[in-house]
Amino acid sequence: MKQTTLLAGVLLATSALSPAFAQDSGVTIVLGEEPDLVEPCMATRSNIGRIVLGNISETLTELDVRGDEGLKPRLAESWELVDDTTWRFHLREGVTFSDGTAFDAADVKHSFERAGSDQITCEISRYYEGISITPSVVDDLTIDFKTDPAQPILPLLMSLLTIVPSETPIEFTREPVGTGPYVLSSWEPGQSITLERRDDYWGAQPAVASATYAFRSDPSVRAAMVQTGEADIAPSISAIDATTDMDRSYPNSETTYLRIDHSVAPLDDKRVREALNLGIDREAFVGTILADGTQIATAINVPTTLGWNPDTEARAYDPDRAKALLEEAKADGVPVDTEILLVGRTANFPGATETYEAIQSMLSEVGFNVRLQMVEVAEHEQYYSKPYVQDQPILVGAQHDNSRGDPVFSMYFKYHSDGRQAGIADAKADDLIERATAATGDERVALWSELFGYLHDDLVADVLLFHMVGHARVGENVDFTPTIATNSQLQLSEIGLK
Amino acid sequence: MKKMLGKRAVSSFVSLMVLIVLVFFLSRLTGDPAALYLPVDASEAMRENFREIHGLNDPVLVQFGRYLSDLVQLDFGDSLRKARPAIDVVLESFVWTLQLALITMALVTVAAIIVGSIAAFNVGRPFDRFASVLSLIGASAPDFWIAIVGIVLFSVNFGWLPTSGTGTVWHWILPICVLFIRPFGLILQIVRGSMINALGSPYVKTARAKGVKNRPVIFVHTLRNAMLPVITVIGDQAAALLNGAVVVETIFGFPGVGKLMIDSILQRDFNVILAAIMVTAIAIFIMNILIDIAYALLDPRIRA
Repeated sequence: MKQTTLLAGVLLATSALSPAFAQDSGVTIVLGEEPDLVEPCMATRSNIGRIVLGNISETLTELDVRGDEGLKPRLAESWELVDDTTWRFHLREGVTFSDGTAFDAADVKHSFERAGSDQITCEISRYYEGISITPSVVDDLTIDFKTDPAQPILPLLMSLLTIVPSETPIEFTREPVGTGPYVLSSWEPGQSITLERRDDYWGAQPAVASATYAFRSDPSVRAAMVQTGEADIAPSISAIDATTDMDRSYPNSETTYLRIDHSVAPLDDKRVREALNLGIDREAFVGTILADGTQIATAINVPTTLGWNPDTEARAYDPDRAKALLEEAKADGVPVDTEILLVGRTANFPGATETYEAIQSMLSEVGFNVRLQMVEVAEHEQYYSKPYVQDQPILVGAQHDNSRGDPVFSMYFKYHSDGRQAGIADAKADDLIERATAATGDERVALWSELFGYLHDDLVADVLLFHMVGHARVGENVDFTPTIATNSQLQLSEIGLK
Repeated sequence: MKKMLGKRAVSSFVSLMVLIVLVFFLSRLTGDPAALYLPVDASEAMRENFREIHGLNDPVLVQFGRYLSDLVQLDFGDSLRKARPAIDVVLESFVWTLQLALITMALVTVAAIIVGSIAAFNVGRPFDRFASVLSLIGASAPDFWIAIVGIVLFSVNFGWLPTSGTGTVWHWILPICVLFIRPFGLILQIVRGSMINALGSPYVKTARAKGVKNRPVIFVHTLRNAMLPVITVIGDQAAALLNGAVVVETIFGFPGVGKLMIDSILQRDFNVILAAIMVTAIAIFIMNILIDIAYALLDPRIRA
């Protein structure tokens, strides 16, 4: 008797040690940051989106990040432009929410209005700012969105709007209801979140029956968890730990750059900005401080973005030319000896401090007077967003993430003179941004392309540095390839089981 | 004894009040929560709306008044980020920290007293030397390093223990071992020193001269007297653990109050910061009183 109890105890203990295998076709995913909410209308925030987007909640359209299909239908089967300012979406039939109610156009209307309500601060709504959008239900499965001004990328914007049932109150929910293939089954704050597969999902049944999310802020612990089999996927581990066969690197859509405030001397001089660009040996960082596979950037957006300009070439490291340009500017009375403050954000990415220290030393070598200041996120924000500190020339080291395929999510606030984080105020750039935002098709591609070239080659708007890579560790029992979107969403239906 | 306890309670209460005031104003000096909560490209209108909803636009004194009156009703408001009562968030994690602290301190106390006493009895012999080196290493090794090495050794290489998390008894072993080391090293030294002193004192010599055996000498005479300084240090160490074993909680993914506090500070989640500080302050306040009682029980001079 005693022996049986002991044996049972040992078995129980061993099974508890490996929760990943505790049940068939369940996976454990270990993330760095626990979401504070599991609220569909906050799904554009990465720590929430990774759990909610495409798993619990779905959107009308979705961007294909694995293939090259572009924008794909999800809850909408098709869409068309009825007139210049009205988009019509035809919704999928036979879709139900996890609470059993049927999905229809009224739910879409409510989801849109809820996300934009001033009673709660939904993050999704920022993508719709500055455009007046009025949804109107045509019939149960058809909805129109009337926009002012015309909004050519409304279908793309709809890939961000998570749909909730029309009964959802306008306050943050802790029990999200969606049309997705999974439903939130348990949430133990500080420990884990579990999603279970629904039987009545409208689409194909995913292979994974349940997913448990664990949260560990230390990247080496996350890596260790996959190695020991406690977890199956760690979407983000540090480059230093990425040494095993289980590790995959992927472009994580972050672009590192130095934002220049063009209004303060000597940074208002183009030669000085060019010297900044020529004085940094970007190649030297790749494979040393930064991971192999890091790409040198010529635009704020990654090359897969619409209109990305292949003709812009990164300025090669040329310290002599940089020195000559500085001398030339100095001869013309530009105060090139003024101290320039380089602001970096601590722990912004692995190796951030080392990267900025190296940049500071490279710039000093070509004759700049640069002082480095590493600050934490809240203080960084004070330098990064308007109103700017005006008393001295400042370079702000920062990262920008746009995996959504269109530069519109970056250009206005990074380069338009009214943009919150724009370092430039240039009439031609403003005009290009405004025209590209309103354009469609080939014209849109051409305008964005022209803008990318103009910013990099003519204006020398900023010091573009790198398109970064992330590292994921994937266990032996699952089949998963991280993509450029893995930072912001992780659809369980994309995970295969071996 | 009542008078002594009353005095102590009053002085602790005053410190608690000062803490309440300080924390409120200091946390508001450190930055705008709207800037952190909302994405960088959020518009000024969104920020303004956010401040309005959360009452951050009112004058600081008005906010302070509201905070005080809520405090009296033990209402800390909702967590800015988690959209539920701050006190619930804090109590949930405090239970974890409390368990961790109690188990660790119980083990540390027993182990340090036993090893320290044996060392004191064997001053200068190999056991004493060994214990001293052990305690020195324990008191000086950084815990994040011990934690990572522990995970690599016992989880990754040997596969004996889970790397982190909660759920089974096994999950507690590594965090408790890491937390154990530093206070153990420290308290061991105090016990040893204090016992050596007590063993050399006239009353022990008298007892021995009267033919009292070793065991009653240790347990009845020496240990009781040697415990006074030890209790002070145990109280100190326990208070440090109650404040949250930040490093250990972070590395092992333990949902304790230390990790919660750090996260809330970084996110400027004021209500949670205040609730967490109040809960831990009250816990430490209660623990100080318990230590005073223990003191009074051990030393009749204090009772008077």
